[in-house]
Amino acid sequence: MNEWVVIVGAGVVTFLTRASFIVFADPHKFPHAFRVALAFVPAAVLAAIVVPGLAMPQGALDLTPANPRLLAGLAAAVVAMKVRNPLGSIAAGMVALWGLQALAG
Amino acid sequence: MLPNARSEFLAGCRDITPVLVGTVPFGFVAGVAAVGAGMTPLEAIALSLFAFSGIAQLVVAQLVAAQSPALLTLAAALVVSLRFLMYSAALSPHLAHLPRRWRIALAYLMTDQGFAMGTHHYSQPGDRRLRHWHLLGVGVTLFTVWQASVIAGAVAGAQVPAAWSLDFVVTLTFLTLLVPALRTRADLAAAVVAGAVALAVSGLPYRLSLVVASMAGIGAGVLAERAHRR
Repeated sequence: MNEWVVIVGAGVVTFLTRASFIVFADPHKFPHAFRVALAFVPAAVLAAIVVPGLAMPQGALDLTPANPRLLAGLAAAVVAMKVRNPLGSIAAGMVALWGLQALAG
Repeated sequence: MLPNARSEFLAGCRDITPVLVGTVPFGFVAGVAAVGAGMTPLEAIALSLFAFSGIAQLVVAQLVAAQSPALLTLAAALVVSLRFLMYSAALSPHLAHLPRRWRIALAYLMTDQGFAMGTHHYSQPGDRRLRHWHLLGVGVTLFTVWQASVIAGAVAGAQVPAAWSLDFVVTLTFLTLLVPALRTRADLAAAVVAGAVALAVSGLPYRLSLVVASMAGIGAGVLAERAHRR
């Protein structure tokens, strides 16, 4: 029962945020400060997801070269800076991770 | 050649194809995670149809597994969906002339990758009147491949060897979106502060660290922009 509340609720939440300005509101009617803050949402939210995924893969902070996800993530970031195609950087990151894991045995 | 609806739609389907290399394993991981959290395959697939958002589905799965209250789970889903507000505001001028049912459909189909592709396509010179068909082609392609991948993951369950580290595709997918989002020093400040705070408060329950870190990052971006203007 609780699961279905969450399932439908997640649908409502994701749809309302997506539809907010496309369907319901004109962004120019909102205060300037709101639109300034909005511009930083992707960088902030994406970093809050990505950084722990690289720096604490086992749930504990590991900034040493022994952390293969950190190095593989850096490799993928370098590729992402060079090429626009996400295929290249995702492939580079996975290949780097598998390579480092194989080296670590 | 004058663009027509059909050619725009097919160009959208074609242009998004390279992205699918990330979509397939990400969807599979999202399906596996939902079933691993104790959902039935049917519930996992329903969640995917309702939310159609990888990160929202993963956050919901994690919080369902932690048996957290429904309201907190939805609050976390809202925070990871805040970036859609920005995407929606950026796309709305291009779509304002369309009938309501078109705007509802394109809003439902909007994703990180679809938004990136859409803003790039609208920035190209030429006739823009039929470009919503391109957006639709991108959205329908991503939707179809995503749902098929989630279903495969939900049915396969936890049979994938952990040594494959397929879950890392999730981090990489968001990394490939993060890098081009860092255009100014203020963007960089927002990302650095959000990342550092996410590590510092990772011990908070119910993935509250994501909420706290995102808000801190947004605040840092606003402050950096103000300092720069002065």
